[in-house]
Amino acid sequence: MTEAPLESDQRFIRIQNYIDRMPSLSTTVTKVLDICNRPDTSANDLNRVISLDPVLTGQVLRLVNSAYYGLPNQISSLTRAIIMLGLNTVKNLALSTAILNTVGNESSQILPMDLFWTHSISVGVTAKNMAELKGIPFAQREEFFIGGLLHDLGKIVLINCFIEEYDAVINQVRNEQGALDLAEKSVFGFDHGEPGRMIAEKWKLNSSVTETLCFHHQPDKAEENNRDLVSAVSLANMYTNILDIGSAGDPYQNEYLLTAALDRVDISWEQLVEMDEKIQDEIEKAQVFLQVSREGGTA
Amino acid sequence: MNIRFWGVRGSIPCPGPLTMKYGGNTPCIEVRFEELDRLIIIDAGSGIRELGNYMMQHDLPKGPIKTEIFLSHTHWDHIMGFPFFTPTYIPGTKLKIYGPVSYEGETLEQIVGGQLSYRYFPVREAELAADIEYIHLKEGRFNLGDGISLTTKYLNHPILCLGYRFEYKDKIFCTAFDTEPFRNLFCTDPEDPSFDEGMAEEGKLVAREQNEMVESFCLGADLLIQDAQYTQEEYESSKTGWGHSSYEYVCAAAKRAGIKRMALFHHDPMRTDAQIDELAEKYCNAGSNENPEIIFAREGFQIDL
Repeated sequence: MTEAPLESDQRFIRIQNYIDRMPSLSTTVTKVLDICNRPDTSANDLNRVISLDPVLTGQVLRLVNSAYYGLPNQISSLTRAIIMLGLNTVKNLALSTAILNTVGNESSQILPMDLFWTHSISVGVTAKNMAELKGIPFAQREEFFIGGLLHDLGKIVLINCFIEEYDAVINQVRNEQGALDLAEKSVFGFDHGEPGRMIAEKWKLNSSVTETLCFHHQPDKAEENNRDLVSAVSLANMYTNILDIGSAGDPYQNEYLLTAALDRVDISWEQLVEMDEKIQDEIEKAQVFLQVSREGGTA
Repeated sequence: MNIRFWGVRGSIPCPGPLTMKYGGNTPCIEVRFEELDRLIIIDAGSGIRELGNYMMQHDLPKGPIKTEIFLSHTHWDHIMGFPFFTPTYIPGTKLKIYGPVSYEGETLEQIVGGQLSYRYFPVREAELAADIEYIHLKEGRFNLGDGISLTTKYLNHPILCLGYRFEYKDKIFCTAFDTEPFRNLFCTDPEDPSFDEGMAEEGKLVAREQNEMVESFCLGADLLIQDAQYTQEEYESSKTGWGHSSYEYVCAAAKRAGIKRMALFHHDPMRTDAQIDELAEKYCNAGSNENPEIIFAREGFQIDL
């Protein structure tokens, strides 16, 4: 006898419980502990090692923005957090978060964590490069990286909360050669944007990053002043999927949606492709930094 | 407001013949609002022991002691006098202790009150007769009642540290210790393998912005008690990142912020009276319309605002 499908309310309770103690990605944890435990950690290394882990980045920003410090302006950049609160504080925040636990086992069969990590980094780097191309000032570019890095975290939650049903989602994508978010909707009644929004709210990320996690498959739903970021990440995500850089379970892209995404950002496909070398280079540097296997083995 | 210094030294008490003039106790400042019959204490360094004794003679005879201690941060030189603050042993004393604590750390009570445990001291905190309340303080603006307002600002020190700005009637009194100027912590050398242009640029921007915010925080103060432990040469040669400022930097910043009077504070324990006198020759002045009056803080010195 199969179990009755869960009601939405029950699903959201399970998701919320998972988010409350969401673990880091196993890909980066060893390196985080290594860097943070060194007495002579440089600001550059600290920033880099945190920013290579989507969960850790979100958690550190959450703590920096939490009522604990009472800082009146939301901080959406690790660079800013490190200057304002100091290396020691941020190092300790990262350490205390990283040692919680790691995402692994269950999720690794469906979505190998190294591939997911590579996908996330690629979307972050691509979005940041787009921001540069569009003349966005330095101080705002890190937000594009962070939005890209974190955009798919909702998937980690869905997989870890509903492992068997997510298997069905992946099969449906494969059989129908369709979009992942639509398959998620048909199985759960919502896609990974919804748990993405719940994570962003729990972590108190600012409105534009929150909407990126929620609406990167429907950028038109984002508020007007968040649309630059959401649209850039949406396009960076399609680009990364088309070029098959890592994987987040969504290999089939719709040509019509791609054209719309290019128009929205007002950028040409050729301009995107010109960035490719730079993007690959940044991913490779990150991999060397973490000494992660480039073969994409499971976590 | 009447301000009196009970401890002006940084790092560790250093009593002895070479520090008689400026004093060897670590930070403690008495802020007295005579007309309100209210006393606020800033920091509980070794200087608070003498202040406690003074309060036993002058305040206790008028009735039970009620006071508030605002800790700039919890480094040891700023809390070490607490177990020797006699009013905590007197029934009827009411004490509120405010201060910042870092996320990963213990509570304010564990850090400050935890000094009273058998491993360090013969009396346990539970045995204190006073009614003590600990309050975790953050950056913000607070109404302290009686028309006193308090603004707090995170400074730049190896742990979370608050500067205080008290405003009462038309007077402004600020503290900015322990702190050093915010600086770009990110690599700015394009030849360095870890160089990242984005981090380098944003780091520069945020450091400048934070330094401007500290100056606005102190803006127009009638009195600013300012961390100044080093000369610029000492700071640059081996003390960068220790969380303390140079005379040169703070004098220029005080001028920019329109400070009326600045007391240089948190003297290095190695600095003798003769050396401070020599520095005073160089940096102190009576003040003018454009320049703040500058003094070196010394134990027992009082300032009326």
